[in-house]
Amino acid sequence: MSAPARKDRLPSAAAATAHQREWFAELHREVAAGSPLALVNADAPQEVFRAMGIPYVVNQWWASIVAAKRRTPEHLARLRDRGYPDYTEQYSSTSLGSAFDPDPGSAPWGGLPMPSIVLAETTGDASRKIFDVWGEQPGVTFYPLESAAADSVPERWWELMPHRWEEAIGRDRIDLMTGELEGLIRFLETTTGRRFSQQRFTEVMALVNEQEEWNRRSRDLIATARPCPIAVTDGIPAVMIPQWHRGTTWARDAAKRLHDDVAERVGAGAAVCEGERARLMWIGRGLWFDLDFYRRFQERYGAVFVWSMYLAIAADGYVRYGDDPLRALAARFAAFSDQLYTPPWSAEWYVKEALAHGVHGVVHLVSDDARGSWATTRALRAAGVAVLELHADNVDARRSDPAFLDTAVGSWLETDVLPGTTS
Amino acid sequence: MSAALAALLDHAAAPPGGAAPRHPAAEDAPGVLPARTDAAAPVAGYVGADVPVELLTAAWMLPVRLAGSPAEDAELGRGYLGGGLDPVACSVLTRLLDGAYGRLDALVVSRDCEASLRLFYVLRELRRVEPEVPIPPLQLVDVLHLPHRTTTRYVLAKVREFRAWLGELTGDPISDDAFAAAVAAHDRVRGLLRRVGDLRGPGQRRLTGTEALGVVRAANSLPVDRAENLLRDLLAELRTREPRTGHPIHLTGSSHDSPEVYEALEGAGLLVVGEDHDRGDLLSAHDVGAPTELAVAERYQFAGPAAPRASIRDRAAHTRAAVRDRGAEGLLSYVRRYDDAPPWDFPAQRAAVDVPSAIVERQPYGEIDPRELDRALAELRAPAEVTR
Repeated sequence: MSAPARKDRLPSAAAATAHQREWFAELHREVAAGSPLALVNADAPQEVFRAMGIPYVVNQWWASIVAAKRRTPEHLARLRDRGYPDYTEQYSSTSLGSAFDPDPGSAPWGGLPMPSIVLAETTGDASRKIFDVWGEQPGVTFYPLESAAADSVPERWWELMPHRWEEAIGRDRIDLMTGELEGLIRFLETTTGRRFSQQRFTEVMALVNEQEEWNRRSRDLIATARPCPIAVTDGIPAVMIPQWHRGTTWARDAAKRLHDDVAERVGAGAAVCEGERARLMWIGRGLWFDLDFYRRFQERYGAVFVWSMYLAIAADGYVRYGDDPLRALAARFAAFSDQLYTPPWSAEWYVKEALAHGVHGVVHLVSDDARGSWATTRALRAAGVAVLELHADNVDARRSDPAFLDTAVGSWLETDVLPGTTS
Repeated sequence: MSAALAALLDHAAAPPGGAAPRHPAAEDAPGVLPARTDAAAPVAGYVGADVPVELLTAAWMLPVRLAGSPAEDAELGRGYLGGGLDPVACSVLTRLLDGAYGRLDALVVSRDCEASLRLFYVLRELRRVEPEVPIPPLQLVDVLHLPHRTTTRYVLAKVREFRAWLGELTGDPISDDAFAAAVAAHDRVRGLLRRVGDLRGPGQRRLTGTEALGVVRAANSLPVDRAENLLRDLLAELRTREPRTGHPIHLTGSSHDSPEVYEALEGAGLLVVGEDHDRGDLLSAHDVGAPTELAVAERYQFAGPAAPRASIRDRAAHTRAAVRDRGAEGLLSYVRRYDDAPPWDFPAQRAAVDVPSAIVERQPYGEIDPRELDRALAELRAPAEVTR
């Protein structure tokens, strides 16, 4: 998840990327020395591993590295060679391709070390299967977590989540996830010999809340700043790398550094794009194989992507306060994907964010998966926001030719967005 | 064809409705359900095999499992659900919005696969933002399937929630007696379906896979007592039927809510003697037993193993046993486009059986590519004289 190097790169983004490389090199040394390693899904409760001192790699983060290095096709080909599909949930299955790499030393960043534990929620139809295959590899154990769904949900979840999460998510779902986490802790204690300290866990949870509060301040600054002070390709690594390290003082401080960078730029009136004409929102996962995509439109049209879900979900989706830290952690993840993908939660949240950021248009990445886009697009259009549904995959460049992407977005800007803005 | 089989298959091909048990207090009940002017019970359309039909029957409703139709245009549903979702869900949504199922007094959706869950979310959102769209009272029953105590506790809570919802909907809480009677009746039907399934085994082969699919479809939409009577008659009549011919295979992969693919396979000389779909053998694999909410919860939690919700290991073990029990001489995995789970199962299934195997992937809804079928037939080493 590294943006192209630039002279004006946000210092916090550059620092986060550098830290990640150093951390990954150290991880290789730790695992070689016998440390357990977990591979965990992005929407799984990583804080338990943090508290127990078990290093982990986030599945989708690794997929983004592979995609940024344009190595996804060969990873997917390894799955195909073994009879597995290369056309479902590529974002989740790319890392599995690393497990079958005959020459991991030549892979990005020295390759993904073989994990001993893989953790994922049983979302979707294929995700669980991908982790089943992981669990069949020698020395790897898959610990599946349930993913429950609610019959009814509140519309304005972001107002309830920090303190009234039980009301927002429902007791049954939180009871279930809490029970799952208790089982996970016992499993990790038994298999790794590492201790779970309630005091340490409480510290981790407090650090996460601090980190996300900084992200919230950053998000609010960017929402109101005119012109846009930072590039989305800087914002994503500056948020997400610390997010994968959340629960550490480094990550908390990195979030503060991002905030301070943003505040400094806002104070100086700095602009990502001189002559900013249009403010855009990007809904969907990052387009990892073509991170230059976002910049092309500001250079050609003065259209700036001011929003991605990464900072926004950090701001609204993670903070959980409460007296019982394990239950609070359950509440962080029992409905995590709902916040992004389940209407009315997702749809109303995207509208709230679009209006708060004053965007002129939304580019909505729609993949061939089961996440459904109709409700999000409908809600935005009902709120008066122009929406382009861009049908592509965020890691699989085989289906997303840059010329197609540029033509689709450029035409939409010219016809639907720019005529309604003042230059 | 026997009379009972004809009656079952006629019903499978017909729209929902028809004779049903009458709620003794329906016209007087002050509940939410509209008063009916005919003699039929309220109809509860349901999506997915994880809906506890026992509770619908106990609430004096007729449970009708909704099926899509590959022959009908599903663009309306696809517009809501997106182009990347199992086309069955798009078809069901289109048919719901078009009124193709007739009058439904309730709509219950289970979480048997991601497409069903997404269908529920769209229906819920439609009720919120387009209230003029006529959608019946709607409920999700979130049955989960990991084999853990924590999951059982959750599913039990969902079963109780569903029972309470039905009581509010009908204005008449489900009595323990009605509950016990419904559990026993549905268990009897499942037992009869298992005996019908046995007649597809080695030395029997009394009905084709296409016919078996139709029998299950009828059992999914008939009043339980009517289904029981017809299945008893069917068993009696099948005893003297000549064996069906064809190269015996076990069918895995996507579930089939209509007969087209079975017909194509059997038209090519195969005989589907078993399948691991919830519209086939899996439907009747487990009983409830005790008339308790916990027994219902555990029955549905441990149902399957269905492709979208079971582990690769469990699926492979089940496939191995099913192939052996039915004397199948080949394993065919048919996978519909955007049905994401089955292709992940196949390598382990193939390794678990000692008969030839083949997979056809990304097939259109209700169809099989003729060239893929030819390739599969060659890989299954189906006898030349029975292939096209």
